[in-house]
Amino acid sequence: MAELIFSGVSKRFEGTTALNDIDARIGSGEFVALLGPSGCGKTTLLRLAAGFEAPTGGEIRLGQRVLASATAFVPPEDRNIGIVFQSYALWPHMTVAGNVAFPLEVRGISGAERARRVAEALELTGLSAYGARFPAQLSGGQRQRVALARCLVAEPGAVLLDEPLANLDLALRASMQEAFAAFHRRTGATMLYVTHDQTEALALADRVAVMREGRIRQFDAPETLYARPRDCFVAGFVGDGAVIGCRAVGPLTRAGLVVEALGQRIEARGDDPAPTHLCLRPEDVVPDPDGPLTARVSAVRYIGGRFRLVLETEAETIVTVSPQRAAMGELLRLRIRHPWAFRDPDAPVRPWAELCDA
Amino acid sequence: MTSAVARTGVGRSPDRLISLLLLPVALIALGPILRLLAEGLGYGEGLTFAHVGEVMGRNSTRIALWHSLVTAGGGTVISVLIGAAFAFVVALTDIRAKAALVFCLMIPMMIPPQITALAWMQMMGPSSVLLKTLGIAPPMGSPQPLRSAGGIALLLGIQHAAIVFLTLRAGLRMIPADLVEAARMSGARGWRVWGRIVLPLSLPSLAAGAAMTFVTALGNFGIPAMLGIPARYSTLPTLIYQRLTGMGPSVLPEVAVLALLIGAVAIAGVLLSRLMLSRRSLGLVGLSGRPLALALGSARIWVEAGLWAFIFLILVLPLLALLATSLVPAYGVPLTFGSATFDAWNEVLLRQPVTRRAYANSLLLAGLASVILMAVALPLAWVMSRRPTIWTRAVDTLVDLPYALPGVVLAIACILAFMRIPFTGITLYGTLWIILIAYLARFLVVMLRPVQAAIGQLDPAMEEAAASAGARLGRRLWRIVLPLAAPSAAAGAILVFLTAVNELTVSALLWSSGTETLGVVIFNLEDSGETVMASALAMSIVVLVIALMGCVQIGAARLPKGVVPWQN
Repeated sequence: MAELIFSGVSKRFEGTTALNDIDARIGSGEFVALLGPSGCGKTTLLRLAAGFEAPTGGEIRLGQRVLASATAFVPPEDRNIGIVFQSYALWPHMTVAGNVAFPLEVRGISGAERARRVAEALELTGLSAYGARFPAQLSGGQRQRVALARCLVAEPGAVLLDEPLANLDLALRASMQEAFAAFHRRTGATMLYVTHDQTEALALADRVAVMREGRIRQFDAPETLYARPRDCFVAGFVGDGAVIGCRAVGPLTRAGLVVEALGQRIEARGDDPAPTHLCLRPEDVVPDPDGPLTARVSAVRYIGGRFRLVLETEAETIVTVSPQRAAMGELLRLRIRHPWAFRDPDAPVRPWAELCDA
Repeated sequence: MTSAVARTGVGRSPDRLISLLLLPVALIALGPILRLLAEGLGYGEGLTFAHVGEVMGRNSTRIALWHSLVTAGGGTVISVLIGAAFAFVVALTDIRAKAALVFCLMIPMMIPPQITALAWMQMMGPSSVLLKTLGIAPPMGSPQPLRSAGGIALLLGIQHAAIVFLTLRAGLRMIPADLVEAARMSGARGWRVWGRIVLPLSLPSLAAGAAMTFVTALGNFGIPAMLGIPARYSTLPTLIYQRLTGMGPSVLPEVAVLALLIGAVAIAGVLLSRLMLSRRSLGLVGLSGRPLALALGSARIWVEAGLWAFIFLILVLPLLALLATSLVPAYGVPLTFGSATFDAWNEVLLRQPVTRRAYANSLLLAGLASVILMAVALPLAWVMSRRPTIWTRAVDTLVDLPYALPGVVLAIACILAFMRIPFTGITLYGTLWIILIAYLARFLVVMLRPVQAAIGQLDPAMEEAAASAGARLGRRLWRIVLPLAAPSAAAGAILVFLTAVNELTVSALLWSSGTETLGVVIFNLEDSGETVMASALAMSIVVLVIALMGCVQIGAARLPKGVVPWQN
């Protein structure tokens, strides 16, 4: 297992830019998810790593080895990178054992060694009983595990997974998530996992790269993405809640700063002296009979154990959760508790000092 | 998005090596046709239209052209009537045993045309063994009714009805069922639904099928040769044949012009057909999962009976007549249980050196053509699908040409190109190899299309997974693409084999003593009055053809869509 490093990677298809100046370092043994809406470039990044496409600019390295750069290109068959496709891409004319043995056969490993490693890979994925079956005779989850076994049997430097759970039903998806996590713990493989499902990404990955329009917007641990998003897109895409405009009305201290939003002065967490937006998670909005803020309930949805309420204040729409059902149109009093304030890089800069002068 | 990305794959050297395959393919498929074009325009003597003017000015040319247009046009009308009736009933209603019906309708197209002509002549006319046996033969000396423009058109129409049927059925299947349902919800029923909704939507398909039928009928040699030559009724293909066999290669510049003439008419037909096909997809977006199935109710049994009676008339009866003739001891003798004999079968299959040699030649040519084309089509189809360039697209379009052009055109083109191979003193004329090359050019597309269909439906991820596993291009083709495309390639190979065994037009002009094919020998036997032996040989070929078609039919369920031409 080795580090997978992208430096300044870009990719253009016939004039349209699919990837723009990607810098990312996936540590040895790390499980990284690429998360983003469709068309954001995450699959292209994966295909560049696999070698199915060549980058237009920049460099891709696996450990010390340059896989692709302006001067070098290692074809996929020489990269020693495993891939699990969304469609699984099992070869229908080979048995499960045949599929798993193929990478070893290509490497000229035969006889007892091959048999041992195939048996090992099948056992690791819980498929020992299915070696003689053909892919058509397996369920979706079993096919998924064959694909995993096949890509691991050759001990690749890194494993790429392209939306591997997208074709499974909800129940199976949950159990396969567990299987992936357990699998990652046991093998310590460097894994790059593409998904558009944020629950999947947040649940599985050590770190998540959120992508949009060919760029990585934020690359952090799941809890950091949730608690300290760096821009409006990430704040809105990851987790529930509302993103609203704000402006600083006090200096930045170690505890954070005071901002003005929703017509209130709110104590917020933050690390930028001139935030432009607040990320209001449902748990930051607390129903409180003595709260300073009033809002009207505009939607109520039961989400198991509690209710998700959409609330209209004078200027903004915000979200909270409540243990009690609320009536439509009911007026609630609220208090805002330490939301995250950040400066969106695309928003115009309005430093606090300037606001004070005005 | 994945497939779009896969198409712009990374160019690497082994891929480029496969692309080199395009060169010999283009050379063999298109070289002779270009050579023919050059000949018509005065190759070697500077650009001139002198030949063109001279040949076109002759009466015989104008008469043959007129005859060709009349018989092909009449045949097309008959094909449209038969093919459209079957297509509407099979595609739109709930009749039973559709697969069997379609299979039987296909047989006339797959049987060599000279056998069709032979069989029908055995069914009609004063010397028909079948009619004599039944005691209803017309009196001796009365003319054979099929030896006329009408007879030629009738048989051309029956032979090619399947083309109209297949094109129209494919078009009908593209009509979403909800269009008809919407019409019925608006209160329209029965004939009004058919006339106002189904017919207008299927007209482009019908027109395309008719144009293809016209082109095929125009190039047909077997039927006008068997029926027209004895009656001195010549069409363009038979005129070319008679000139060339009568005068030898000295008339090549002249017949080249005739070949170009028929080729020009054919290309006009092909272009018309393509235009119609491209129009039919307009507005019919979104395939409906449910095909139309109008319930016929109590009329169903009568419709079924009518269709099967028709199949009996155009397929079973002529073949029974052929069989009857093949079993009599001498032509003209009525068939009884006492007189029936397998002598003629015995003679053609086991004794006569010419027929045995023809069998060997035909099977060898057909076998070689299928094997070589299979080996070429696989990498070719792969390159076309996975690494498309302007060149692969050009070859993709042009490989249709040698198959769409009438066989005589290709035959003349091959004679011109290989009479003396450029830059060498070698001639292939008079050898088996010139026939093989002509077959390779003509049938490439028969092999290529099924393989393309199979590779096109193959998930590119299958190959990418193999690449990630470390397999290089050669191994990927061998271990992944070949096994998965093999069933379609096998079906394609059988189709090539079938078409090659059936082939007469090309070999009629390219054969010489020792390189006869089955088609040529049937024609020659009948020509020299050996009708009983011709019938026995023809019947044995019919059995072979139906057996091969049966093999494809049995495998059809396991093949990808579009591989078996009569199952789409």
